[in-house]
Amino acid sequence: MIDASPIATVEPVPSTAARVASAAPPPLQSVGETVRSALTSLPARLWLALGVIVLAAFLGYLVVRVNRRILVGAGVPETIEGTAFERTAREFGTSTVSLVANLSGYFIFILGLIVALTIARVEYISTFWNRTAGFLPSLFLAVLVLIVGLVVGDKVELLIDDRLRGVKLPQTGIVPSLAKWSVVFIAVLVALGQIGVDTAALVVLLATYGFALVLFGGLAFRDLLASGAAGFYLLLEQPYSIGDRVRIGDTDGVVQEVNVFVTHVESDGAEYVVPNRRAFTEGVVRVRE
Amino acid sequence: MTTSADLLADLVADVDGVFLFAPTGSTYEDYREVDDESVVVVVAQENDHDAERYVELPLEFDNVRDRIRFGIEGAMNHGYCAEGDVVACAVGVFGDPIDGVIRTPVTESMHSGIFDLFANSRADPAVVRDVFDVAIELGKKGQKGKPVGALFVVGDAGKVMNKSRPLSYNPFEKSHVHVGDPIVNVMLKEFSRLDGAFVISDSGKIVSAYRYLEPGAEGVDIPKGLGARHMAGGAITRDTNAIAIVLSESDGLVRAFKGGQLVLELDPEEY
Repeated sequence: MIDASPIATVEPVPSTAARVASAAPPPLQSVGETVRSALTSLPARLWLALGVIVLAAFLGYLVVRVNRRILVGAGVPETIEGTAFERTAREFGTSTVSLVANLSGYFIFILGLIVALTIARVEYISTFWNRTAGFLPSLFLAVLVLIVGLVVGDKVELLIDDRLRGVKLPQTGIVPSLAKWSVVFIAVLVALGQIGVDTAALVVLLATYGFALVLFGGLAFRDLLASGAAGFYLLLEQPYSIGDRVRIGDTDGVVQEVNVFVTHVESDGAEYVVPNRRAFTEGVVRVRE
Repeated sequence: MTTSADLLADLVADVDGVFLFAPTGSTYEDYREVDDESVVVVVAQENDHDAERYVELPLEFDNVRDRIRFGIEGAMNHGYCAEGDVVACAVGVFGDPIDGVIRTPVTESMHSGIFDLFANSRADPAVVRDVFDVAIELGKKGQKGKPVGALFVVGDAGKVMNKSRPLSYNPFEKSHVHVGDPIVNVMLKEFSRLDGAFVISDSGKIVSAYRYLEPGAEGVDIPKGLGARHMAGGAITRDTNAIAIVLSESDGLVRAFKGGQLVLELDPEEY
């Protein structure tokens, strides 16, 4: 075991040092001398590069630890508990906190690696890496924004869901997911903008789509939306409830059912289904004998 | 010379229809294509095998007679069989797998009203089933181990509310709780400690608890020996188009009333 390790470290060295130490040692020299000569023939730059990598690894590890401490200390795990992203992360045996912490660690390590490569003057890849190094912070930021966006979106969904559950209306299930995907979409836009993808077309597309949706949706669902809006008020405030005798417009009878869009009013065996909009435009008369 | 198999052959001779009650997949595959002209009807809680003729059982009726009646009434309603037909019903009498064949003519007297109770009530069939589930659950467990009674009036809530008055503040006021919501069992269990009826609307919304029903009780025909709760429940169904599902505190049975008549009697312990 002890013998194997120096050989393992030495082995890659001749390939890089071959050009530098062209004066090949005589074949009769012992192994120890070969190692020594190989080590001394290594340029100082390579040592520096190695040191930078080690330092980067150490710094990265430190940042991971500190970041995790900070995130846990700030109560992030409790805040994001139960979000879909966190659950998915758990499924893969990790968590959002460790993902974010590791991400910053990897970022620093990769940065160190690039610095090391630059120091080592590995010519043919330096141009590539230089561009990558410039690109890296934005990529890191983009991933961070994406994760934060997903988590915040999930959290928003949970919060709105909770709030709506307090109102005890099961029909409002679409609102939380709508809010969630809006947040996620904006996060994706920001992230794409970070890494330099031209999102202008995407934004225009979204705006057009949204505008068309609002316009035509508004036109098509005008009555339904008006009734729905009125229905929310009726359900929350309950100005009349099941069993009351009411007159809506010229419809007279006993309220049998109130839901988001319509009110069922029954009189003498005839059940009128009245849009809630009419309760607002025409007013409601509560009949009390 | 007769063999024991002839006994069964006599039972199923010249039947117009075969009713399979909750068949397993292989049973259904075997008998799907009966070679003579008789129709095959599947009666089960879920149409697992995509049977062409299917009657949905809202509850797993423990009483075999109720189960067959429901199946045949449902089939008549769907037009799978008509009065005067003779059908063979393959049912599980003692357990889940089919262990018996019953031959019965289809007559109007089959109309016990059980199918009617679910399919032709004002309330949705799913709502009626959910209320039965709650009542059976309540009858099984009771409240903190003690037997409780409860009275649910389902459907035609507007009229029922006008034929009743509150005994106390309505805990369901300004709420939007429906039977079938997961929390409801616990909630109703707690509220069942207090007297009065639960009023449930056509769509399953719990409108009120603690209602004192004030129907006219004349002309209500319920078996003697049942108490005030059953009388009130039976009577309100005569005055309105509601149905009443009553859990008896004394004998623990769940009974359903419609049109002032006792339609169905279930023992929660058997579910």
